[in-house]
Amino acid sequence: MVEKEATIVPEAGLHARPAARFIKEAKSFSSDIFVSKDGQEVSAKSPLRLMTLGAKHGDKVVVRAEGEDEEAAVDALIAILSEEEEE
Amino acid sequence: MAGTRLTGVAASEGVAVGPVFVHVVKELKPERETIPEGEVEEELGRFRAAVEATAEKLAATAEKMREGGSEKEAGIFDAHAEIAEDPELHSEVEGQVRALTSPEAAVIAVGEEFAGMFAAMEDEYMAARADDVRDVAAQIASELMGGGPSGLESLAEPSVILASNLAPSDTARIPPGMALGFVVSGGSRTSHVSIMARSFGIPAVVGVGEEIEDAFGAGVVAIDGTEGYAVADPEDDVISDFEQKQRKDAAEAAALEEYKHADARTSDGRRIEVAANIGSAEEAEGAIKWGAEGVGLFRTEFLFMKRPDLPSEDEQYEAYRNVAEEFGERPVIIRTIDVGGDKDLPGVDQPEEENPFLGWRGIRMCLDVPELFKPQLRAILRAAPHGKLRIMFPMIVDNVELRAAKEILDECRKELETEGTEYGEVEVGVMVETPAAAIRAADIAPEVAFFSIGTNDLVQYTLAADRGNERLTRLQSADHPAVLDLIGKTCEAAREAGIWVGVCGEAAGEPALIPRLVELGVAELSMSAPSIPKAKKIVSEL
Repeated sequence: MVEKEATIVPEAGLHARPAARFIKEAKSFSSDIFVSKDGQEVSAKSPLRLMTLGAKHGDKVVVRAEGEDEEAAVDALIAILSEEEEE
Repeated sequence: MAGTRLTGVAASEGVAVGPVFVHVVKELKPERETIPEGEVEEELGRFRAAVEATAEKLAATAEKMREGGSEKEAGIFDAHAEIAEDPELHSEVEGQVRALTSPEAAVIAVGEEFAGMFAAMEDEYMAARADDVRDVAAQIASELMGGGPSGLESLAEPSVILASNLAPSDTARIPPGMALGFVVSGGSRTSHVSIMARSFGIPAVVGVGEEIEDAFGAGVVAIDGTEGYAVADPEDDVISDFEQKQRKDAAEAAALEEYKHADARTSDGRRIEVAANIGSAEEAEGAIKWGAEGVGLFRTEFLFMKRPDLPSEDEQYEAYRNVAEEFGERPVIIRTIDVGGDKDLPGVDQPEEENPFLGWRGIRMCLDVPELFKPQLRAILRAAPHGKLRIMFPMIVDNVELRAAKEILDECRKELETEGTEYGEVEVGVMVETPAAAIRAADIAPEVAFFSIGTNDLVQYTLAADRGNERLTRLQSADHPAVLDLIGKTCEAAREAGIWVGVCGEAAGEPALIPRLVELGVAELSMSAPSIPKAKKIVSEL
């Protein structure tokens, strides 16, 4: 299992477009991937669950993955959360 | 029934005659609540197929939107496709189907469950996502029941659309140019459908009530969005009447087209800025299409209404930033919240007042309730770097109020500075709408960057005539010497202090008054967006 923490950089938080990128990326890995905020943990592959986290710009979240490509998955997802959204 | 007349609210100007397209929002009822034990696998297969079909349709709609240049709308459909394919949605539905609930009943229930979760969230944006989930769940369910969506997206003939309601996802589905007008049983001038109609520039009559069903069987409907009525299966003479109105409107619009995006300048070279009054971020795009050179009055009350709590600073920041970005270089004047005893504000204890219009309202309330005022000011300052924002304080009577408001604005700046939060500079102006402010405009002018005259309240306070009283129509126009004197005085004081004056009440868009206002020295006219082309023409002919 791999887990890392990140502070959300995209202005829109885990809403709308950054979320769409995030989910697409998550789905490209075979590992089970989870995101948690304030102790609440949800699947990173579920837009609905992810939205219920209400994770905004500036919030701290933890990304955790379990599976064959866990290392790569966590790194890729943390990267999305840590960079400004490109227009 | 031939000649059935539907009357309602005139929500968007213009007339149209065309074939009827009925958009029925069926109350979504699952055909079966349960399924027999032996059919679980088969039903799960049907569910997966329905999800796939729905997601494909949504992706296709997104693609079509993108090709048509509507990137924002395309994003909505992309998100809907994502929701349709959500693995958690599937596993929840699967669980219920395994417990012998029919898949259509299960998907509606699960959709409702998520919707409930979103609706309970504080963030306005998230709360609005509740409708997205319901929308998607309903599409999957109707796919399961063999229906599929209503067909708005495959509309191939320009039609007048009749509906009980039109959601944003409905209007976005209509191919460009295929909607001639909207007739809707519910809604008001500020409903989404009305705003969309105005920005599409097509007529809309809303709030016609259940009688709309009488027109569902009609072949043709004539709609007059200026007067607020529609006629189902009109007789020939009605049709020719409408066609005449249409020709007149078209001729007028064509004559105005050249003025729409031009700068308004009087014959002696004075430049008059013509801007729009808007009441929500949604209206920004439409206003620009009408030729708005900025926003002279952004009413922020909409953010505070129809909700159980006060909007957060972040939520307000998003709204102001959206409008700032939409207008870019063009200035946007944000009026700080202006409510009083006639409107309830969640979280603020408002005592019942005998004369709400002479009571604790506008800036008076804001100065007393910093937890209302400060988040708004901070949100505006934070949104400022994204465009060209200005702040306007309403209901100012004298410098005591103005200075107190400016002091709070300063406090907000300092707080943001200390926190290291990014913010930008904004010009500060005063809305001149009390006779006191107009009479002593010379005292106030040196302390602000601009004045904007709110003629609606200025008229009501100057002529002591209630805006809503039907018997006082003569006293409800700015075209009264007493009001014009005050406007003149305000302009004079502004000239001396070297600041500019705008007008953002109804008077700014009244053809008969525009020449007077310009003559008195007004430099900016702000009005409802569709009045802009005509106002520019009038100015150009002065």
